[in-house]
Amino acid sequence: MNPNSKKRQVDFQVIAQWVNEGDRVLDLGCGRGVLLEYLIQKKAIYGVGVDIDFDKILSCVKRRVPAYHGDVGKLLAQFEDNSFDRVIFSRSVELLDDPDTILTDALRVGKRVTVGFVNHGYWKNRFSFLQTGSRGINEVYPKPWYETLRANHFSALEFESYCSARNFKIEDKVYLRGDWRNECKVLPNLLAGYAIYDLAK
Amino acid sequence: MNDSEQAAHFSNEGEVGVVEYQDFISRKPFQFESGGSIPELCLRYETYGRLNEAKDNAVLLCHALTGNHHAAGVHSIDERKQGWWNFMVGPGKPIDTSKYFVICSNVLGGCSGSTGPESINPVTGTRYNLDFPKLTVGDMVHAQALLIDHLGIDRLHSVIGGSMGGMQTLQWTIAYPERVGSYIALACCARHNAQAIAFNDTGRQAIISDPGWKKGNYPDGEQPGDGLSVARMMAHITYLSDAGMEAKFGRKRRHRDADEHFDVEFEVESYLRYQGQAFVSRFDANTYLYLTKALDRFDMHGPEGTLDETLKVVTAPGLMVGFTSDWLYPPQGNREVVEALLRLGKDATYAELAMDAGHDSFLLRAPKLDNLIRSFLAR
Repeated sequence: MNPNSKKRQVDFQVIAQWVNEGDRVLDLGCGRGVLLEYLIQKKAIYGVGVDIDFDKILSCVKRRVPAYHGDVGKLLAQFEDNSFDRVIFSRSVELLDDPDTILTDALRVGKRVTVGFVNHGYWKNRFSFLQTGSRGINEVYPKPWYETLRANHFSALEFESYCSARNFKIEDKVYLRGDWRNECKVLPNLLAGYAIYDLAK
Repeated sequence: MNDSEQAAHFSNEGEVGVVEYQDFISRKPFQFESGGSIPELCLRYETYGRLNEAKDNAVLLCHALTGNHHAAGVHSIDERKQGWWNFMVGPGKPIDTSKYFVICSNVLGGCSGSTGPESINPVTGTRYNLDFPKLTVGDMVHAQALLIDHLGIDRLHSVIGGSMGGMQTLQWTIAYPERVGSYIALACCARHNAQAIAFNDTGRQAIISDPGWKKGNYPDGEQPGDGLSVARMMAHITYLSDAGMEAKFGRKRRHRDADEHFDVEFEVESYLRYQGQAFVSRFDANTYLYLTKALDRFDMHGPEGTLDETLKVVTAPGLMVGFTSDWLYPPQGNREVVEALLRLGKDATYAELAMDAGHDSFLLRAPKLDNLIRSFLAR
């Protein structure tokens, strides 16, 4: 098993706490459907995953997770207001072409929107850039830039100011340290490696 | 799954081998949705694998417009041509006949042994021709349900089909939701767009304007061959793709110095003319008119114009597969069915395959398609 796979599931427990039994959940950028499979088993949700990659959809099929192969923004437009209890972006907002439009539409379709992402403001990122002038390879960015998807990283602080500019209510938030395991209670924009937000309109 | 596992799958595969068709004959009058009826009907079908004791391992395959009941195997040991989905159906294959009892019937209205316009009307002793009632996809599915009753099967493990077979599959999910355990519909749509209707009507006009058509009453053993072959040539183009044709034919020439200016010159001309001629020898012109019309009229949108109102009765989990190069039934038409199902909170999956063979991609062996169907059925 991939040593990163446990780490990849870092936000599952946090998200599962926010999900209610039987919720309707839309996971945008669902990957192999592991989170939805977990939520289906733990919380008996109705879940739908969306991904742009065929092999990810195939994995969802194997996990019995309903999945839609295609563009996140185009599918969101097909749903009525509040038709899902929760829309989840787990490390996928940074991959979107038009994050502002899609986050706004996700809040139309979902009563709540969960966003989990690597905090670009994490001190090791700052330190390696200052010291070497490069992004570096560390616990939150385990691969060099050329082995990762085209991603538009941002910090926890930037995300919060965006939410406030758009009047999105931050109902809850959890920061994790660089190990993506222990909670980070102080100076999150500097010390958190991972941030998870629960948004409402 | 990696490539070596994939190869292992292939090597564990067997063939269904020599198969024989059977005829299911219902002596009761069959009512069509249009209001017409026929006094009795025959459906020709084949089965592969064994029905288990609980009778819950049956998989119904629905064939495409010009397909038939012969989905897998060969009819004799010397025959080289296998059934239309032979690579998909057999022991160890994605639709595994060591697990499933697979059924495929020629559709009602077809011309490969099931009752259709070419059949003899027992009341008059002559061919139905245009006296055959107006036909719908719903009628085809209703007739298949009679066959399933006859086989003693209450509920199908799965219903699977591509193109017109995909439309029958979708029709099964709304006409008999309680009898469908799961479904896979490939390269299809909830209704024809204007382009699909346009192509079909151009084909029909080629047939109808052939003097040999004789208002549908061409004699037994004759066909409006010129019209039917042109209809087939044109339709065949819509099953392929620009890239696929370019790779297969390009501008390759058959005869560099054709005697007559308009004789076959390019490979692609030779290929299409052959396809047209071969079609005339195996497919009845009136049947082609009836089936294409049934497809044009097929529309899963309800009276208020939405798919949601029709699909709300669906209970089975489903998989729809679109193909990127399919310009006859483009991915969008497949996708929108799944979008409606997901709006309704159904268990539905949409997968899109990047294959360059056009609409006919679903009839070509591809590891990703194999894997998708195998995985969906195995869950």
